[in-house]
Order: sequence, then structure tokens, then C-alpha cells
Amino acid sequence: MIEYVGVLMFLAAGALLAAAATTVSGLVAPHNPTREKLMPYECGENPVGSPWGVQFNIRFYVFVLVFLIFDVEAVMLVPWAVVLKELGTPALIAGFIFIGMLVLGLADVWRKGDLEWVREEERAALKTAPKNAKAA
Amino acid sequence: MERLDTISSLQYFVPEIVLVFTLMAVLVCDLVSKNRAPRERRLLIVIPSLIGLVVALSYSLQGSEAVSAGLFHNMVAFDGFGQMLRVIFIVTSIFVLLFTLHSNELRLVHHGELLVLLLTVTVALIWMANSINLLMIYLALETVSVASYVMVGYLKTDRLSNEASLKYILFGAVSTGTMLFGLSLLYGLTGSLDLFEIRSALSSQEVVASSGPALMVILVLVLAGIGFKMATVPFHFWCPDVYTGAPTPVTAFLSVGPKVAGFAVLIRFFYGGLASPSEDGASWAMVGSVDWQTMLMGISVITMTLGNVGALLQTNMKRLLAYSSIAHAGYIMMGAVVLSGEGIQAMLAYMIIYLFMNLGAFLVVIVVHNDVGSFDIKDYAGIWRRAPLLTIGMGILLFSLMGIPPFAGFLAKWYIFSVVIDAGLGWFAVIGGLNSAIGAFYYLKILKTMFIDGSDTPEPSTPLALQPLYAGLLLVLIVPNIIGLLLWGYLDRVTEFSQKLLDAM
Amino acid sequence: METLGPQIIFWAFAALMLGSAFIVVHGKNLVRSAFSLLATFFSAAVFYVMLGADFLAGVQLLVYVGGILTLLVFGVMLTNRIYNLNLETQTFQVLPGALVSLAVFVILTTVVVRTPWSQSALIEDGPTTPIIGRALMTEYVLPFEIASVLLLVALLGAAMLVRRRTDL
Repeated sequence: MIEYVGVLMFLAAGALLAAAATTVSGLVAPHNPTREKLMPYECGENPVGSPWGVQFNIRFYVFVLVFLIFDVEAVMLVPWAVVLKELGTPALIAGFIFIGMLVLGLADVWRKGDLEWVREEERAALKTAPKNAKAA
Repeated sequence: MERLDTISSLQYFVPEIVLVFTLMAVLVCDLVSKNRAPRERRLLIVIPSLIGLVVALSYSLQGSEAVSAGLFHNMVAFDGFGQMLRVIFIVTSIFVLLFTLHSNELRLVHHGELLVLLLTVTVALIWMANSINLLMIYLALETVSVASYVMVGYLKTDRLSNEASLKYILFGAVSTGTMLFGLSLLYGLTGSLDLFEIRSALSSQEVVASSGPALMVILVLVLAGIGFKMATVPFHFWCPDVYTGAPTPVTAFLSVGPKVAGFAVLIRFFYGGLASPSEDGASWAMVGSVDWQTMLMGISVITMTLGNVGALLQTNMKRLLAYSSIAHAGYIMMGAVVLSGEGIQAMLAYMIIYLFMNLGAFLVVIVVHNDVGSFDIKDYAGIWRRAPLLTIGMGILLFSLMGIPPFAGFLAKWYIFSVVIDAGLGWFAVIGGLNSAIGAFYYLKILKTMFIDGSDTPEPSTPLALQPLYAGLLLVLIVPNIIGLLLWGYLDRVTEFSQKLLDAM
Repeated sequence: METLGPQIIFWAFAALMLGSAFIVVHGKNLVRSAFSLLATFFSAAVFYVMLGADFLAGVQLLVYVGGILTLLVFGVMLTNRIYNLNLETQTFQVLPGALVSLAVFVILTTVVVRTPWSQSALIEDGPTTPIIGRALMTEYVLPFEIASVLLLVALLGAAMLVRRRTDL
């Protein structure tokens, strides 16, 4: 466990540094807030609504879901990889069955368009949009 | 029980492997056929699923050699009990797969994931029912749960389905989490995940003397997880809402598959880990310091009573069947209480008959919903004039569920009550009998609505639309209920064979 | 020194864990609750390290802090117009809830303190990953493969539920 003392010290130093940076800048910097300065930065535009009101694409959620699954998979594969050399072919087969299962899952979300940033129907809408504009 | 290593286990594991390959193949078929016409695409996924299930079934029916083994270093058991359950799960799955084909609720959604999930649940149920290791019990239970959550919420645009899924997830997460905590304490107490090693650890005098409260807490926590799957009181709250919201074929599946697997885990866990078999293997004696027999007895009594009383108040068919399935869980539990091979045999017989009568009742619900578009009992009025044969069929199923002779449901109840009486628990059987009487009320209420209500309205009686497939399935499900008496000898032999092999552990 | 150091660390992180868990449950702000969970998860990882379960600590950080927490924060962010919804967590039935919690606490601590738990032989401090790997590849190979089925189902199901179209 003694080797983790280094990790702990590193963490403590990091936390300390961050705390120090904010405190020092708070003490040293001139403090003169105006309404404009306190507004969220929106490329010079006046922001509308609260910063939480932004359109947050639901795709992000799908990506995190997929990421989480493969995160867990990676975790399961770490011990496998560590002993792979020692245990040889049977372990290799076992691991590949495991990976193969999840590749199928990946194929599913890929094929069904969950990984595309622009959805199929939206893409179709984008293609037809200029025509409509002309007609109008 | 012989402990086998990975390679030599594979020969006993064929149906499971077939099912896993089937689910992978169905997934691939689903992806490959993405751009085809919906009808064609459905065939392309349904046919491989059916083939896989039938192949797995034929393999499971073969394995009648009298061996028992702990496969994969004592992770799952291979014995008569497990072989029997394997058949029950695969048969249920085949029925439910056919149920989905013409169901109006599922008409507008793609079935790809549904079939993959169904196949996964089937194989996970087999694992669950045969686990003899705490880790396997939890993992299989979780696989069943996760797939069931999605199946319940499969109708994404239906708010009831969403609500049901959410409730199921919340309740399931809490129950399985509680169970996991209990299992971890059990591991801490005995130092092993293997149920038989747990048994020998619990048999030692010093552990018995000092572990009373701990074991009590452990059993309560573990029962939360198992009870959630069996839908026994007090872990039944999810049941009516989930059964109502889920697509009816999925409801039918939930009312049989996970429930039976829950009872299997109950048997494996308590008889394997907390009881030791007698010399001849016909009875068990409790191990450890907790009287779990009384605990299960209490749960059984409360479950059947609350289930039956709750069902009395229902106006929705699916809700009513949900409460009825809770009550049936109470009856099945009676067999687990007596600690004898006869009890397990009676449970198995009950579960087989329950499969037929309950799936049949749900199929009628699907058929009526396809035509009438409602699950309300009041909308069943006048069905008799529109579909006499269907009504008679439903009548048989309901009489069977009630336990009226000469239908199979009566035999199931009679068997389980007689086993309980033989064990000297006459009062317990009396409570069961009283409950059956209460149950008759609401089953008869349905029948009354179907036969009598609405018969005085002058509406033209168009025949009820009944798909040929569903008609055939209904026949298959109803006939065993009628000729139960004739099949009894066979059933007795089968269950005896199954039970005999359980005690090898 | 040899015993005092770990003691201090343990109690410090125990306090952090309980404090942040309290904020998670009773915080009036969903975002603050979500980020408090970070401290809770992290403290658990520290405990794993102190128990010599280095792999488990890594898993805790990777999966819980890296994955589940991200999912949670995204979930919070997806809840649009979060401030207009008045999502204050209200507390009902404080007294019955407190009594039940207290009862559970008393029962569990009594049991944990009183019971002679089975003691396994002390393992030498060292990397646990190869031990886990060997176990997964020999005795626990079936659970290992079943875990892949579980993950596959979870992925399929989650993607299916999130997807807008019903005909894919």
C-alpha cells in the first residue's frame, strides 16, 4: 500500500495547486463586476435564457451509453490481458468470444444509425431543403 | 456431485450454447436485412429464432441419462431438476415468440431486439435456475432483469409501457442490490461462493452458535431478490403495474419464465445451501440457525391471500391476471415449505400446469385485445355470442386456474395440498383451500361477464376475429388442461425423475 | 506512524464520503448532487486501495467516476430548462423514514460487529490483477462469458430505448 502514498501526495498537491490558483487570483485580480461581465459568454451576442436551456443533443447520451458498455468491457479485459501470455490459447479463445459478443452490439448500434451525428431522416430533410427554398 | 472442468462441461451445455448462437445469428439477420420490406424482414428473424429454440428443445429433451454434475467448476448444476426447467423455459419462449406474431400491440414496432431479448432471457433463465454459485445466481438474475426491463418498455410510444418499465427498473435495481448485499454477507460468513461449501460451513457447530442474527439478516436480504423474481409478498408491488403496461406477450412471458426461475433459485439456494438431504434423499433437514421453513410458510400464506384479495377488486384483465399470478406464487411456494422430494415434485407439476393455463389465459387476452382493443373486463361482455368456442376455451382455462376438477389446475392444487397435509401441516392446506375459494370469485366474475353480460343488447354479433395461428396455439394450450388426468401418470414420472436427480447435490 | 497515517486517511475519506453522500440525497440542486457523487465514488476507490484491492479501485474510478457519473451528468443536462421545472427534492415523511433508516443501521451494525466473520488467510500486498485474471480464465470462465451476454443485452436494450424510430 505504501506505493499509493505517492498517488495520494500527487492528488493532494493537485488539489492544493488548484485551490491556490483560484484563491491567489481572487486576491490579486482587480474586482469590478458589471452586468455584462457576469453574463455567460455567447460570442458577443446577448444570451437568451439560462445557460442550462441550451439544446443539448440527445446523441451525447447515446454515445455515453455505448461508451459505458465498452468501458466495462475494457475493465473486464484488463485482467484477461495480464494473464493472456501465461495461459495461452484457451484464454485467447475465451477472450475472443467475449469481444465478439460486444462487437455484435457495436455492429447493431452502428448499423441502426445510433452513431451518426446527423440522423437519416434529418439528412433527407437537409437534401430537400434547398429545393423548398427555391420553390418559396 | 461430480465437479467438471470447462472442456468436459461443454457436452452438457449444448442447449445453452445453441441458444446463445441463435441470439447472435438473429441479431446478425436483423442487421443484414435492415433495408428489406418489414414483412420479409420479420420472417428473416422469426424463422432462425424458432429453429434455434426448437433445436435447443430437442437437445434438452434428449438429456435423460441419469447423471448429475457441477458444470464449469461448480458454477451451474446439471441434473434432472435443471433439465426439466430447461424444457419449461424453452417451451414458454416458443409460445411467447408465436404470441408476438399477430399481436396488435406489437404490430407497428420492429421485432428485432424483442426476439434477441427473448432468446437472451430464455438462456439466462436456464442459467439462473441451475446456478449453484452465488456469483452465477446474481449474474444470471441480473441478465434476466436487464432484458426484461427493456422488453416491458418495448412500446416506446406508449406511456403505460414506459411507466411500467421505469417502475420495474427501480424496483428491480433495489431488489437485486439488496440481494447482492445479502450474498456478500453470506460470503463473508462462510468464506465461499459455492452453495455446497456454504452448506458445510453453516453446518459447523461454532457457526451455528454464533451466526443467528447475521444469517437472519442475510436470508431477508436474499429473499428480496428472489422474491422480486417470484413476485411474492412483500416484493410484489411492481407486478400489477408492470403486467398492465407491458405488451401482453411480454406479460405472458414474465408471468411464467422469471417466476419459475425464481422458484428454482429458491430451491437451489435453500435446499442446496441451507439444508442437508437425508440418506435416501427424500427429505431435507435445515442447516444453520434460522428457521427459514417458517419464514417461507409465512410468505406463502401472505402471498396467496393478498394476491387473491387484490384480484377481487380489479377491473382490468391484465391487472387481474397479475394478482392471480401472485396468488399462484403463493400456492407454488407451499411445495417448497415441506422440505421433501415430494414437495419439489408437486412444485414442478404445478409449474408445468401453470405454464399451460396461464399462457392460455394471456393468449385469450391478446386475442380479445386484437379485436376489441381493450383490456377492461367490462369490454369482455357479450364475447360468448361473438366467439362461443373461444369463450368455452377461456372457461376451461379459468376453471383450471380456479382448481375445479377435472381440469389440470385441480390436480396441481390437489397434489400440492396433499403433500402439505402429508407433512403434517393440515392448517396450511386449509388456508390454501380457502384461498382457492376466494380465487373462484374473480375467475367466475370474468366468466359471467363473457357469458351473460351484454346478451340482452340487440347489437349484431359479428364473429370475433381469431387468427388461425392463435386458434391453433389456444388448442395446444387448452388441451393439456382437459386431459390433465390422463397425462397424470406421465407427469408424475417426469417430475419424479427430475426430483430424484436434484438430491444428488 | 505506520498505523496513524492510514487511520487519518481513512477517517478523512470516510467523512468526505458521508458528507458528499448526504449532499447527493439532500442537495436542492440536481447538478450539485451529481457532482457530489464524484466525491462519494472517489472515497470508495480510496477504501479499495487501503484494503489492498488495487484493481477494484481502478475499476471504481474507470467505471463509476469515468462512466456512470458522466452518464448521470449528461442525463441532468438533457433535462432541459432545469431551473424552470423547480426540481427541488422534497422530503416527505421524515420521521418514519428516519426511524426505518435508524432501525436498518442498528440492525446491520449490530450484526456486522457481533458476527464472527470467516477470516481468510492474509494475502501479501501486491498487484491483484493477475490473480483476478487467472480466476476469470479458469474457475470463473462461465461468469466471464455470461458477463458479455449481459453487456450485449444492456447495449442493445439501451440503444433501442433511446432510439426515436420504432421500425429499425
